[in-house]
Amino acid sequence: MAEDVFLSDDLLRQLMSVGEVDLLVGMSSLHAANTVSHALDEIEESFQRNFVRQRVVIVNVGGGDNDEDSARAKGHDNLAEKGVRVPGITSLRTSHRVAANVPGSPSPGIALRTILAAADLLRARACAVVSPAASNLTPDSVANLLRPVYREKFDFVAPLYTRNKYQGLLARNLLYPMSRALFGWGIRELFSEEWAFSGRLAALCLNQDVWHEEAIQARPEAWMAISAMASDFRCCQAFLGEKSPVTKGLGRDIVEVLRQTVGTLFWCLETRQSLWLDSGRSQSVPTFGPAHELTSDPTDLDRHRIFEMFRSGVTELEPILSSILDPETHSEIKSIVSLEEGKFRFKSGLWVRTLYDFAASYHHAVINRDHLVQALAPLYRGMTYSFLAEHSDSSPAEMETASETLCGEFELQKPYLMERWKAKVEVKL
Amino acid sequence: MRQTILRALEQVYGNLVHMIAEFLPRFLVMLIIIVIGLLVAFVLKYILRALLGLTKLDRVSDDAGASRVLRMAHLPPMTELLSRSIFWVTWIGFILVGLSVLGVAGLQEQISRLFQFLPEVFVAILILFLGAVIANFLSRTALLAAVNAGHPSPKILSWSIRFVIWILAISMTLEELGVARRTAISAFSIIFGATMLGLAIAFGLGGQDLARKCLERYLGDTKKKEEKEPQPL
Repeated sequence: MAEDVFLSDDLLRQLMSVGEVDLLVGMSSLHAANTVSHALDEIEESFQRNFVRQRVVIVNVGGGDNDEDSARAKGHDNLAEKGVRVPGITSLRTSHRVAANVPGSPSPGIALRTILAAADLLRARACAVVSPAASNLTPDSVANLLRPVYREKFDFVAPLYTRNKYQGLLARNLLYPMSRALFGWGIRELFSEEWAFSGRLAALCLNQDVWHEEAIQARPEAWMAISAMASDFRCCQAFLGEKSPVTKGLGRDIVEVLRQTVGTLFWCLETRQSLWLDSGRSQSVPTFGPAHELTSDPTDLDRHRIFEMFRSGVTELEPILSSILDPETHSEIKSIVSLEEGKFRFKSGLWVRTLYDFAASYHHAVINRDHLVQALAPLYRGMTYSFLAEHSDSSPAEMETASETLCGEFELQKPYLMERWKAKVEVKL
Repeated sequence: MRQTILRALEQVYGNLVHMIAEFLPRFLVMLIIIVIGLLVAFVLKYILRALLGLTKLDRVSDDAGASRVLRMAHLPPMTELLSRSIFWVTWIGFILVGLSVLGVAGLQEQISRLFQFLPEVFVAILILFLGAVIANFLSRTALLAAVNAGHPSPKILSWSIRFVIWILAISMTLEELGVARRTAISAFSIIFGATMLGLAIAFGLGGQDLARKCLERYLGDTKKKEEKEPQPL
């Protein structure tokens, strides 16, 4: 089998000693030294509370023998094996823990591949990937991810969160509506650090020859969801509570996030053309628990700076944008740049056409693809500014209506993308 | 008198016939070599085009920004350009070999000189082309990074990088061709050194405030900046 090649002897030995399991929870403990113990406790507790009779295992992917985080995870005593129980709870099975040490710093793609290989070897029926750094990780959230797969026979479970209405705007204004319009499934959190999947989806993804791709190395979860859709596997969403704020790392750097998420989405459009070019209208995805919730906590945002970065970006990047955008779209963008800050609005129709132009230009590779995705950052800032100005006093219900309208606009203009996608590249001098 | 004239004419005629008899086979050999060269060039062109198609060179060229440079120069895609180049190089090579068979005095020397100079011309063209591709790619990388980081003068940064790489590529090309070798190196050193010194003086003296702000931005606390924009995911 393919996984035999890249799994270490030590990991194979550990997996063989575990035998077959019903449930598997995987995580990457790299750079999560302070929270890994807490995460392991929460997962163990979830198993003891919710899956008393099931055979369970936690696979922790760390960064080699010298990695402090994985060493800590390995050294953390197993509650169940030591006979330590959460008061009032009795698990009937032994909970196993496997430490998979990967040389160097394992990327999310390498970590997922290791988890999939472990799930395949252990014949796991339901698997979940969680982030030890997430502050919202609780026994209930782990159970909410695993339950639809294990009990309801779903193949892919995406999370749903409660979040501030001004957070997650990339997901709200780009990733969700675009993926919904093109792939036909309305998964709100296509890019997340927590999701669940069935053993058969794990086997399907493991056997695909994509693991060397940059898009998969950075953010493999969206590709996994799209693989499930492409194979007519059952997808659903499960509510996990409040979304953990990103406090450190690259999660707040807009350009890096765009490269990882929009770059991966465009790559999926490129590699799954037959899926979306032939798909019809979008369909709703079953949801477990409350739907997407919004809060209105005060936030410290510098709208003026966001607008200025949009304006200067569009002006400075004019030669690059002219090679990516349709001339009509580009001239409309140039005309709104000259508007006063108070009157500025990025209309949803223009936003959708802009994104479809970017997707088509990515397909035709009119410039370096990484550069193309980076050139989207000023326009995303323009849309963000417009959204913040438009919805400063909107209620969650009004924002939901606006979101649905945007989704409708993406669906309405899908023929425009298909036309540009299939067109031959024009030589622009 | 008449006999002398007739003998001279006979001699001229004999020489002419001898020359034609000597020249015609050579001319035929030259034609054969040129025709064979044409066939070989065609075969090599199609083999190279097929091989490059398998290696997806055009996609690599797109990613590196080379395709755009080619389009701007009204040139075909990379695969087509290389396969056409191999065709012409091969055929011109055969034509020159064919011409040398004619044995025309002086021509052989010129041809051998041209053959000696050809590799240098190709290397010079290659250096210029790579210089254009690298300058285009790096200047665009710098422009995007500077714009997205909110740098005050992204175009100056981008054009500086493009300018330095072009100067370097041109001076390397001139050196390769052996054109005013010393002058080219001296000119590059002077232009490059003067530009860097000018920028350093302008940044350090003329733009003290800007220099301080930049250093504060790059070395200072980035947390404050991060909080000003909404979390994208």
